[in-house]
Amino acid sequence: MKSLAELDKLREKLQEEMRLREGKEDVKVVVTMGTCGIASGAREVLTAILEEISKRGLKGVTVTQTGCAGLCHCEPLVEVERPGRDKVTYGHVDEKKAREIVVSHLVNGQIIKEWTIK
Amino acid sequence: MMEELAHHILDVARNSLEAGATRVEITVEEDPTGDLLRFSVVDNGSGIPPYVQRQLANPFFTTKSGKKVGLGLPFLQAAVERCGGNLEIRSDVGRGTTVVATFPYYCWDRPPLGDMPRTIVSLLVGNGHLDLCYRHIFNGQSFELDTGEIRSRLKGIPLDTPEVLLWLRQYLAENLNILSGGGGYEVARRAG
Repeated sequence: MKSLAELDKLREKLQEEMRLREGKEDVKVVVTMGTCGIASGAREVLTAILEEISKRGLKGVTVTQTGCAGLCHCEPLVEVERPGRDKVTYGHVDEKKAREIVVSHLVNGQIIKEWTIK
Repeated sequence: MMEELAHHILDVARNSLEAGATRVEITVEEDPTGDLLRFSVVDNGSGIPPYVQRQLANPFFTTKSGKKVGLGLPFLQAAVERCGGNLEIRSDVGRGTTVVATFPYYCWDRPPLGDMPRTIVSLLVGNGHLDLCYRHIFNGQSFELDTGEIRSRLKGIPLDTPEVLLWLRQYLAENLNILSGGGGYEVARRAG
């Protein structure tokens, strides 16, 4: 059973990790969460990304959300921005694809071209 | 179309964020005995001007430039109407907005409540500074989560760190499970 006291332990662990990373620029992952995004599964994609990042112990990734990007027919959308590189947008992402994007793009630095949209 | 009320709640609360809210209160009230399911989202955002308020149920109205439709509230309105429920929106410019949706608990057409822990956690992604108060009432018993309390325990670690959010999701899931008396309370209703 999770208790708030347990949160203190997690905090101590995270504080240690933060000290190690100080000053490095983060990779940004953005999930669009307009009505179109939510209806097509952006919430599920977002939590899958969090899970995969946590499972792989990835540090230096900021996950964030935004509203409708005007590409409703391609939702759910996931954008990846690495410092100094062009933004990459993936379309029609589901939970499975989201996990693969984390592994391929964030861990190994390989863009999955066939899932990207221009 | 939204499959879950929790999706609608996320959608309405995202409106709050887009309206610049710094505090959002979400209350879900399940009262199977009284045949009632009600949720409310109360924010301190910029509020909705009267000319927009008149158009809230119109799917072909939006304030976003370059767009032709705004489907969020019309979807919710439709879900409410299918069940003979009620949707109430009150807003004061500069003060905030309150959205209250009421459904009969036992209605075939009512979407299931769905995954509230996931909805709460999704709202907090990228919004670590948001003051979010989530209250869930089931048959008169209640559970409450206030991000202010969580944040003070985290002592500077961002609330929207993936590990913290996943911890929160689990924490919420376990507490809601206890609240509803051991889970699966909606299963019986959906199984028929």
